[in-house]
Amino acid sequence: MLFWIAVAVMTALVAILLLLPLARAGKGASLPEAEDRDKEAAVYRDQLKEIARDRENGLISEAEADYARAEIARRLIAAEARGGDASAAERPRRRRLAEMLVIVALPAIGVPLYLLTGAPGLPDQPLEARLENPGQNIELLLAKMERHLLQNPEDGKGWDLVAPIYYRNQVFDRAVEAYRNAVRLQGASPERSGNFAEALIALDGGKVGEEAVAQLNAVLKIAPGDARARFYLALSLEQQGKRAEAFQAFQAIRKDAPADAPYLELVDRHIAATDPSKPAPPAEAAAPGNPDAADVAAAEGMSGADRQQMIMGMVETLAARLQNEPDNFEGWMRLVRSYGVLGMKDKAAEALATALKNFPADTDKGGQLKALGESMGITAEGGK
Amino acid sequence: MIVELGHFALVIALVVSLLVSVVPVYGVMKRDPALMALAPIGTLVVFGLVAIAFAVLTHAHFTSDFSVMNVWQNSHSLVPALYKISGVWGNHEGSMMLWLLILTLFSAMVAAFSSNLPVRLRTLVLAVQGWIAAAFSLFIVLTSNPFIRLDPAPVEGQDLNPVLQDVGLAIHPPLLYLGYVGFSVCFSFAVAALIEGRIDAAWARWVRPWALGAWAFLTLGIAMGSYWAYYELGWGGWWFWDPVENASFMPWLAGTALLHSALVMEKRDALKIWTILLSILTFSLSLLGTFLVRSGVLTSVHAFASDPTRGIFILVLLLLFIGGALSLFAFRAGTLRSGGLFAPISREGSLVLNNLILTVSTASVLIGTLYPMLMETLTGEKISVGAPFFNLTFGLLMVPLLIVLPFGPLLAWKRADLPGASQRLFVAVLLALVLGLAVFYAEQGGPVMAVLGLAAGFYIVFGALVDLWGRAGFGRVASGQAFRRLFGLPRSAFGTALAHLGFGVTVLGIVAVTAFATEKVAEVKPGATVEAGGYQLRFDGMKDAKGPNYTESRAHFTVSRGGATVGDVWSSKRIYMARKMPTTEAGILTFGLSQLYVSLGDPTPDGGIVLRVWWKPTILCIWLGAVIMAVGGFVSLSDRRLRVGAPRRAANRTALPSPLEAAE
Repeated sequence: MLFWIAVAVMTALVAILLLLPLARAGKGASLPEAEDRDKEAAVYRDQLKEIARDRENGLISEAEADYARAEIARRLIAAEARGGDASAAERPRRRRLAEMLVIVALPAIGVPLYLLTGAPGLPDQPLEARLENPGQNIELLLAKMERHLLQNPEDGKGWDLVAPIYYRNQVFDRAVEAYRNAVRLQGASPERSGNFAEALIALDGGKVGEEAVAQLNAVLKIAPGDARARFYLALSLEQQGKRAEAFQAFQAIRKDAPADAPYLELVDRHIAATDPSKPAPPAEAAAPGNPDAADVAAAEGMSGADRQQMIMGMVETLAARLQNEPDNFEGWMRLVRSYGVLGMKDKAAEALATALKNFPADTDKGGQLKALGESMGITAEGGK
Repeated sequence: MIVELGHFALVIALVVSLLVSVVPVYGVMKRDPALMALAPIGTLVVFGLVAIAFAVLTHAHFTSDFSVMNVWQNSHSLVPALYKISGVWGNHEGSMMLWLLILTLFSAMVAAFSSNLPVRLRTLVLAVQGWIAAAFSLFIVLTSNPFIRLDPAPVEGQDLNPVLQDVGLAIHPPLLYLGYVGFSVCFSFAVAALIEGRIDAAWARWVRPWALGAWAFLTLGIAMGSYWAYYELGWGGWWFWDPVENASFMPWLAGTALLHSALVMEKRDALKIWTILLSILTFSLSLLGTFLVRSGVLTSVHAFASDPTRGIFILVLLLLFIGGALSLFAFRAGTLRSGGLFAPISREGSLVLNNLILTVSTASVLIGTLYPMLMETLTGEKISVGAPFFNLTFGLLMVPLLIVLPFGPLLAWKRADLPGASQRLFVAVLLALVLGLAVFYAEQGGPVMAVLGLAAGFYIVFGALVDLWGRAGFGRVASGQAFRRLFGLPRSAFGTALAHLGFGVTVLGIVAVTAFATEKVAEVKPGATVEAGGYQLRFDGMKDAKGPNYTESRAHFTVSRGGATVGDVWSSKRIYMARKMPTTEAGILTFGLSQLYVSLGDPTPDGGIVLRVWWKPTILCIWLGAVIMAVGGFVSLSDRRLRVGAPRRAANRTALPSPLEAAE
């Protein structure tokens, strides 16, 4: 409302300014044609003065000066002779028409043209103010934390906080950097170093590299029984083609696992894959490359379940936000991806279906949503 | 809400521009002063509204309001404050806003400072300016709107192109646009004169300050752009005959021709039709430049974003304005009276020659710029018309210009005495040859062309001085009196001399750099020394550093000559974090007018680095000359006589006019 008042005031001010000359001149001003002729003549009179100056300084000869004077005088006479009678008959009707045009055109053209592209009344959102009052916006909180870390790069707790968020958002390079800082500043711990290793593995596209192995060994030094670290080390063996050793390692994990461990199924699969009594599966199928969503989810289960809960909390917040902002395309993409990665296919399918209502599948954005769903094996019609 | 009000201000500015384009013209037709009076006030209102819109956009950039798409696309919260502001025009939408702001600024100046203009002429000029403003604001609102919002707003922007994160961006575009767009006033004057159907010497007098101002700003803008490219791009070159550079150079050439032909028109009432045509062409070339740069036809650092709809829109505008103006010209030119006869050897004659050369060189640049594009569009074949073409055609065209230039100011109007002028120039020629040869021997063994080039440069410099010398009457009257007269000379005489002298200085710089610059590529390890231009550069090693939004590895060099250390310089390679984009920051060390230029290449596996080191003798002359030219323009603009015209002002002889007042 305030916005439209401001718009009205602005339009009115402009209109008044434009109407001013129409109203003032309306009181019988006549066309200043004589004045116009004077202005032209003034130029030539000035040129005559210039000739005199040049002559005085000896820059031109008397004969040249005479020539020039004669020429300019001719222009002067021509200028003064020109112009007709300056009888500007008063025609109030025409002026009223112009006034009407001004009054009508400003709002009649201006407002629709503005509405075509404008977002009436949408408040400004300077970044500082948003960072001071981030509310529940996780991205803003993250940005705030990032700024803090840029100023205080030695704040280990801060790195500890942002690292899992990067990991969750699949920004693995930043996650690795954050975990590296956190481990450097806060020291190794089964949880932290394990996560660091996991981030490194994710950045490497599922390959357990040297740095990751070093971190996993550090975990085992503190907590020799850590199932996650043992699992990834075994996986590393499997990836190196040492099937027998991998088989033993996986079996050892199986033996030490509690009966209700969520990762049993995963370990069993790997035991089956590395069983030396069976022929090695074709490289394609065995490709231990990417740990699939289940791998990740299961591996998560090996360490703190509270972290899982925190992640779930973030996803729920996003879902709640999207209830109010159904046309937030990026948000829907993220939500579907999050559910998919977490293995909650039903929820993912549900989210995808809602999103597709706002972005029909035959539109560009809808197409992107659909493609995302397909890539994760999710269909809008109710999961798989 | 401020952002939305800025958006609305822009839209209303468009509507008011439309009113200014229509109502006052009707007033001129009906001889109604009230309707005509809408032009100046409306023009001022448009400027006010556009200024508000621009200020709002700047504010949004400054406060990193990422709910504005333009800010999100082209800014980042970590960009230093200066670049947040200059980043406003470091993108397509913002630069069009700057274009519009400067256009309306010029219109407002015409409205405010030309009480000496006949009312009918002024009204028409403002109306034509109104057409241009309306067309461009429509273009901005429909295809390049900087006020499009994002909701919800992203948290971080996508950053300003790192190459543009430089003081150069704060200076180069505003100066260039002041020049480009300044010529719109000349265009409007020409169209107004054509509509009125009469032109005379007074017209040239009224146009000249605008042409002078625009020309001086364009000179500075081009020089600044050239220097920026020189130090930022890290290739050590100062002019690449890049289509974008040519786009700004063509209006400059045409504008230079316009300045000179307007002089003839003002003094002798001759070359009138030609001057009108040049006014139209100069601004048309500005528009063409805008089209080439903005439509995405060209890919370069200037083509921020290419979008075919924008290209077509600008193309339509281009056809409308250029085609319309030229049709009007064709329709009216026959009815215009020409006047003022002159002999071939005369000031007019030399200016005609100047115009001839400048127009032909404009045409050669135009062909060189457009031909490859046409070929690519028609045959799909990519051809490159590079520096050799331009150096040959343009260079050859400049030779007669260099020879004739000093004669111009020495010749009398109407008919002149060539031997007399030659005699006076003899001293200049002699001095020039001696100095040219002296430099040649000092540098040992440069090509013969370089000697002649240097001689030409000196010849122009001294020719300009001889002109002042002669006008003051040294040799003819007592020297005391001559000095008095020298100081009493009109400022336009100094302006002319300075501009010509500046041109000579630029020629000197170009010739010296082309002939004597050295380039060295070397692979060095810390402690190694590279020799360039008589200086020894010792590579001390690399160091990592962090800027506000980039990380860089910097190399440190100690520069010595003959064993004594004379300075040190850093050269670096940066990575801008937001876009992960690398840039090179050349290390430049200035000795007098010459520069040592160090640029880093890739590191070698064994711990060394590839270096490119240039010695650029007297390179600063190139830009110094341009600055002197521009100063000449401003000095001339401040000439008292340019602002005389309004009778009541003429009496006020004592006041020192400032360039702004000169427009009165």
